[in-house]
Amino acid sequence: MHGRNGFLFAIIFVTAAAQGQQPSTKNGEWPYYTADLKGTKYSPLDQINALNFSKLEVAWRFKTDNYGTRPEYKLEGTPVMVKGVLYTTAGTRRSVVALDAKTGEVIWAYSLREGNRAAIAPRQLSGRGVSYWTDGKGDDRVVFVTTGYRLVTLNAHTGQPVSGFGKSGIVDLKEGMVRGTGQQIDLETGEAGLHATPLVVKDVVIVGSSFKEGMTVVTHNNTKGLVRAYDVRTGKLLWTFNTIPRPGEFGNETWENGSWATNGNTGVWTQMTVDEELGLVYLPVESPTSDFYGGHRPGDNLFAESLVCVDLKTGKRKWHFQIVHHPIWDYDLSSAPILADINVDGQMIKAVALPSKQAFLYVFDRVTGKPVWPIEERAVPQSDVPGEKTSPTQPFPTKPPAYARNYLKVPDDLIDFTPEMRAQGRDNMARYKNGPMFLPPVIGDGKGFIGAMGLGTASGGTNWPGAGYDPETHIVYAQANQSALFPVSLRTPPQGFSDIQYVMGRNDTDFRVSEGPGFGSAADAPQQQRRAAAPAPAAPAPVAPPAAPVGGLTVQGLSIVKPPYAVISAINLDRGDLQWQVPYGETPDAVRNHPALKGMSIPNTGQPGSVGLVVTKTLVVLGDSQITTTPSHPRGAMLRAYDKATGKEVGSVLMPAPQSGSPMTYMVDGKQYIVVAVSGGAYSGEYIAYSLPTQ
Amino acid sequence: MRAQTSRSVWDGVYTSEQSQRGATLYAKECASCHGSALTGGESAPPLTGGEFFSNWNGLTVGDLFERIRISMPGDRPGKLTREQDADILAYMLSVSQFPAGKTELERQTEVLKQIRFESDKPSEKPSEKP
Repeated sequence: MHGRNGFLFAIIFVTAAAQGQQPSTKNGEWPYYTADLKGTKYSPLDQINALNFSKLEVAWRFKTDNYGTRPEYKLEGTPVMVKGVLYTTAGTRRSVVALDAKTGEVIWAYSLREGNRAAIAPRQLSGRGVSYWTDGKGDDRVVFVTTGYRLVTLNAHTGQPVSGFGKSGIVDLKEGMVRGTGQQIDLETGEAGLHATPLVVKDVVIVGSSFKEGMTVVTHNNTKGLVRAYDVRTGKLLWTFNTIPRPGEFGNETWENGSWATNGNTGVWTQMTVDEELGLVYLPVESPTSDFYGGHRPGDNLFAESLVCVDLKTGKRKWHFQIVHHPIWDYDLSSAPILADINVDGQMIKAVALPSKQAFLYVFDRVTGKPVWPIEERAVPQSDVPGEKTSPTQPFPTKPPAYARNYLKVPDDLIDFTPEMRAQGRDNMARYKNGPMFLPPVIGDGKGFIGAMGLGTASGGTNWPGAGYDPETHIVYAQANQSALFPVSLRTPPQGFSDIQYVMGRNDTDFRVSEGPGFGSAADAPQQQRRAAAPAPAAPAPVAPPAAPVGGLTVQGLSIVKPPYAVISAINLDRGDLQWQVPYGETPDAVRNHPALKGMSIPNTGQPGSVGLVVTKTLVVLGDSQITTTPSHPRGAMLRAYDKATGKEVGSVLMPAPQSGSPMTYMVDGKQYIVVAVSGGAYSGEYIAYSLPTQ
Repeated sequence: MRAQTSRSVWDGVYTSEQSQRGATLYAKECASCHGSALTGGESAPPLTGGEFFSNWNGLTVGDLFERIRISMPGDRPGKLTREQDADILAYMLSVSQFPAGKTELERQTEVLKQIRFESDKPSEKPSEKP
C-alpha cells in the first residue's frame, strides 16, 4: 500500500501482530523459568486435576548423560515451552537443547567448548535453564549464560548463534567485572558465573552474577557483583547497577573505612522479576564476601541482602529495602520476588512478595517500596568475635507470620517421638549455643560451644527453587525446609590460606575448604587418566574410627529437630495470614522403619529438602526430595498434587529419583504435560514428562 | 550356566585392611564435603544413616560404586583409581557397621553389581539353594 494511510495501517498491523504473538501461559505455553515475568509459576491449565493426577503416565523422558564428558547427578533446570518446542539446558557441558514438546525428540543441541575457563567456574553443571525472546514476527531467540559466564543468543529454530549479537552471538560477561577499586578481572581465571536464567523483557536482557560459596574464601577482596542490561538484538551494554555503591553513589558510606574497595560478591545469583507496564525491575541481592564474618566490612553493607527496585530503562535505583543489616548468616536472597496485585483492607496494592531462607515473606508496595504491613527493627544478639560489629537491630515482618520454623526452640522443637529421645536431644544440644534468630557465629574450639545454632541459614526456608503465586486467589505457595540445623563456628584459617581473619570451621579440628555443590565437575575439568594399581604405600599409621559425634545433630539416627521436617504453606496476601500448612512429602524410611518407634502411629513427618513447585488452576504440584519405599508405593520419589484451596494431597505419581529441578506445565495439541527434572543417588539427570493416558 | 550366589552387604564383602586404606583416602578426598564422620555438609549428603540408606536400599554396591567412580570427588571427578574408589567404599561400609570379611571389595562394577545393598540385617534363616 502506498501513501500515509497505508503506512499507518502497516504499523498498526505489525504492532498488533507483535503483541498477539508474545508467548504466554494463557496459550498453554511456559515462556519463562518462572512461567511469567512476575515470578508466579502459575499456569491456568486444568486438564490435569485432582481426579486424574494419579493416573498420569510418563509421556517421554530425556536423559542428559551425554551432554558433557560425564553424566550429571544434579539436574536443576526448568524448561521453557513456546510454540510446541521445549528449550532447556542439559549436562555437565551446560548444552542447550530444543525438544519436541509432545515427544521429547531432540530438534537441535548447542554447546560451547570453554576449556579451563569453565572447568574452574564457580557455578557449574547445567544450571537452571534458558530464556526466550521473540519480536513477534519470526525472529525467535534462546538466551542463556554459559558455565564460563558468557551471554549467548541462539536462533530458536536452528540453535545457531545469532551473528549480530555481541561477537558472533556471544557477549563476554567477564568484561567489565572488577575487583578492588576497579581492576578488571582476568577473563580466564577471574571468579564469576551464574546458574539463573537471564531476565528477558521487551528488547532487553538483564543478567546477574554469582560467585563461589563464601564460607572459606581466600580473600575478602573478591570480584564485585553487579547487574547489567544488554540490548537483546545487538548485545550492546545498556546499563550497569553496582550492588556495591562506589564513592559518591548512594549507600557507599555503609561500607565503613573505605571497605567498599576491598570487598566483593554481593551479586544477584537468583531470578529477577519485572513489572513490564511500570518499567520496574526487582533485584534480590546476595551476601557480601565472607558469609559468616564481616570484620573486614564494618557497616550495613548496602545493597547486600537487599531487595532493590531499579528502572528498566536506566538501571537507576528507585527504592530498596535491606533484609539483613551487615549480613553474617548467609541469608542471601535466594529466589524470584513475586509480583502480586492484592487487596488489603479494601485497598488495591501493586505488591512484591519476597520469599526467604528466614521463612519470612517480605511484602512491599512495589511502586514505592513501603512495606504493606509494618516491618519492625528489633534488637538482636550481638557478636563477641574480635573485629566483628553486628547491627544492633534487624528487620522483622509483623505480617504475614513466618511460614516455617526459623529458629530452634529448646526443648520444644527437639525430637519427641519418645521421652528418651527428647532427653538425649537436650543432652546433645548442651554443647551448642542456641538462641533466637540472628544469633551470631562463635569462635569454635574444643572447650566452648561447638557452634552457634542456626535454623535457616545456608539451606533453610525457601532457597533457589523459590515459591509460586496464584493471581486469582492472591495466595503465595511456598515450600520451606525447617530442619536444616546449621551450627556456625569460626576459626583462624591456616597460615597463608586467606586474608580474612576468621573463616568457617573450628580451631580444634582439621581445616576443611567448603566448595559449592558441583564445583569442579564441568565437562572440561581435567580428566585424570585411569592408572593401574599404584604400589602399596608404607604401612600407614592406624586410623582411629570416627569419633562419636560430640553433641551430634542426630538422635538414634534421627534428626534432633522434631517433625515436620519441611512444610508447604499457603499464605493469603490479602489478609497477611497462613491459609494452610501441611508437611512436605512423606515420612522418611528411617523414621517409618525405626526399631524404637515400632508400633507407634506417627503422623506424616514430611521430609527435609528444598524444592520448587508449580501452581495450576486447581493444584499445587511438587515432588519428593528423597527416595522412600512404602506399603503404598515401590522404591521411588513421588510427584504429588495438592488441592490448592485446602492443602489436601489429592494424587501422586512415581518418579525414579528425587525431584532436582522445579516442575513446569504446558499444553500442546489439546494435551497437558507436566515436566520435571529428576536426579540423585544412582540416578543421573533426566527430564521426565507426564501426561494423562490417551482415551 | 553357573548360578550366581546372591550376596548382600551383610556377607563380609570387604576386608579390615581395605577399609583402613579407605579411611586414609576418605579423610583426604571426601571429608571436606561429606564430614569427618560421614554425616554430610552444606552441599554434600550424609554417607551413612537413614537418609543415605533409603536412597540406596534396593540397589547394589555396584550402583554406589559407579556413582562414586563417575562423579566423585565432587571437585575432581575421576581423580581416583577404581582401587581407591573400592577402598573408600569399603570404609563407608565399615562406618555403617556392615561386617568385614575375608575378601576385598573388587574394582569391577559388574562384580559389585552382584552385591545387594540393604540396611536391614537379614533374619537368621537357611538360604535357598540356587
